[in-house]
Amino acid sequence: MTALLTVEGITKYFNRRRVLDDVRFSVRRGEVLGLIGPNGSGKTTLFECLAGLMPANAGTLKADDKVLTSSQRKATLFYLPDGITPWAEQSVAWALSFFRKLYRRSAADASALVEPLRLEELMKARLGTLSKGERKRVLVALGLLTPHPLLMLDEPFDGLDLRQTRDAMSLLKAHATSGRTLMLSIHQLIDAGRVCDRLVLLSGGQVAGEGSLDELRTRAKLTEAGVEEIFLALT
Amino acid sequence: MRSHSFPELLGKEWRELLASRSYWLLLLMIGPLVGHAFITALNLYAEASGLGGGPAALPQGLTPLDGILAPTFGAYDLAATLFLPFVAIRLVSAEKQSGALKLLFQLPGSLATKVTAKGLVLMGGWLVSCLPGLLAVVLWKSYGGHLHGPETLNLVFGHFLRSMLSIGIAVGAAALTESAASAAIVTLAITVGSWALDFVAAGRGGLLQQLANYTPTAALRFFEQGLLRMNTTIVMLVVIVSMFALAAVWLNTGRPLRRQLLATLAVAAVLGMVMFGASGMRASWDLSENRRNSFPPADENALRQIQAPLHVTVILSPEDPRLTDFEQNVLKKLRRNLAHLNVDYTAGSQTGLFEGSDDHYGEIWYEMRGQKIMERSTIEPVVLEEIYKLAGVNAPAAAADNDFPGYPLAAGPKWAALIFYGLWPLATIFAWWFIRREGN
Repeated sequence: MTALLTVEGITKYFNRRRVLDDVRFSVRRGEVLGLIGPNGSGKTTLFECLAGLMPANAGTLKADDKVLTSSQRKATLFYLPDGITPWAEQSVAWALSFFRKLYRRSAADASALVEPLRLEELMKARLGTLSKGERKRVLVALGLLTPHPLLMLDEPFDGLDLRQTRDAMSLLKAHATSGRTLMLSIHQLIDAGRVCDRLVLLSGGQVAGEGSLDELRTRAKLTEAGVEEIFLALT
Repeated sequence: MRSHSFPELLGKEWRELLASRSYWLLLLMIGPLVGHAFITALNLYAEASGLGGGPAALPQGLTPLDGILAPTFGAYDLAATLFLPFVAIRLVSAEKQSGALKLLFQLPGSLATKVTAKGLVLMGGWLVSCLPGLLAVVLWKSYGGHLHGPETLNLVFGHFLRSMLSIGIAVGAAALTESAASAAIVTLAITVGSWALDFVAAGRGGLLQQLANYTPTAALRFFEQGLLRMNTTIVMLVVIVSMFALAAVWLNTGRPLRRQLLATLAVAAVLGMVMFGASGMRASWDLSENRRNSFPPADENALRQIQAPLHVTVILSPEDPRLTDFEQNVLKKLRRNLAHLNVDYTAGSQTGLFEGSDDHYGEIWYEMRGQKIMERSTIEPVVLEEIYKLAGVNAPAAAADNDFPGYPLAAGPKWAALIFYGLWPLATIFAWWFIRREGN
């Protein structure tokens, strides 16, 4: 698979505290890339820097060896933050319709998301009245309605129960199979191992490893290990 | 931006406005506020017109602009100060605090476009809130009241600019601050600051008074007098646009702080240049029916021929009613007609009550081409005569009396209380309930 984007040397300070330190990795077309790391490892900060929501102190985002301008970046990737409650007074149906019309997606595109994300019973509810898991499912649907080549989802399974997590994983996998590139930030390492084609391990703001599960096993010299053991060995 | 996304953004902002309780509170309150102002004004106007058997005031003194329109629309000044900023702040701060801004930032279109959509929707919201004002005008006409189109439209335009100024300041404050509460404090501080500037600068002249001419209250006063001033209009428009530009700069969290500060400085520089440039603009239009802002046409023609600079030194304190008379009856009109007029205010005290006789208190000096004349009168014909003398211009023949007839009307506020205190609040509550139900 060819690289869709290359992240080079992203560094971010909050006052004098370095929260991202020379972060480098690549995102390949059509893959599901997992960004994994413990709380406070810099996953959300990295996403916000990549999406242009927060200025990085150093580093670039490249496509085909060319640094992306802010408008190219905006056309290439869409980031769905975790823990937001947008437009709390509006209904789920309106939010889906807003994104659908904004991005000129067909009604069928939106309908295709309703069943796997179990949104039927939520359509009339206000976004502000949804539980954490319900809101997460709606936000994932909004993200999947965007047409950007790369969709970055921050903790997409947070708040979902086991069945919902499995359904959401299948849906994301199906979108990746149809050519969309996904980058997921996940702190549940077992979930990451199930859904991601490749992983970027982030620890203390630094990339501790990048590759498929097998590549990371080889690097960690743990032939039968799961994601948790690999992460502990490499960080 | 892709053109198709703008209507969607407008639709989103409109829904957000209608979902805002502060907007519905504004709508709920504006009816009774306008109604109270209208009914009070109408009763006073009727009394002055001889209702109840008392002697009527001079008809020439009874103008609908002063007696009905300015006080009725004064409710909108109150709303623009106390209610409208909170509606505007909510539209920005709610998205910042809920995280929706992070999505909005990534949607099609620049942040400037998105801020423009917010501005347009807030403008639309304000226009809807103007319905009670329109109802008052319709009622006034139905009672047989007189309206002069240009002065009425000018007044509404003044309130439009004043409200957009409130909205612009509130949107700018909401973009700059972290929370809605901080934005409200900043907006309130700017309002109180403008009142203080108004008070401190009165009768002082110089840069301070020029600046004070652009505070919302002072700027609105010109429109309430039937005067449309080019510089006031331009400065208000540029301030409004600048505030929205600042909002677009500060909502862009992806920009480094240094770039945001530089952009802010650039906006401030443009604003400063416009204000400086506007201070030299004298173009204005007296749209009042009784030409209260103008000398008789013959005098205006004579004054416009005077090219030599006139220097006026006024030794009257800011709170002296003679200074108010002089400003309203003479200086305001001279500023519109003389190419070069410079006014100095040299009284040392605030009230003038304890000025000594050796301080020349009460004197007004006129100086042109090295010649000086002192005159204490603040009456228009006396002052003009002195200026003609100094300029060596023949005084034009005295004009016939102002042919403004005045419009007395001894009518009671029939149906007004029911409409503004009863039907309007009920209609607002019903509309809120209906829209909320439909939104589900």
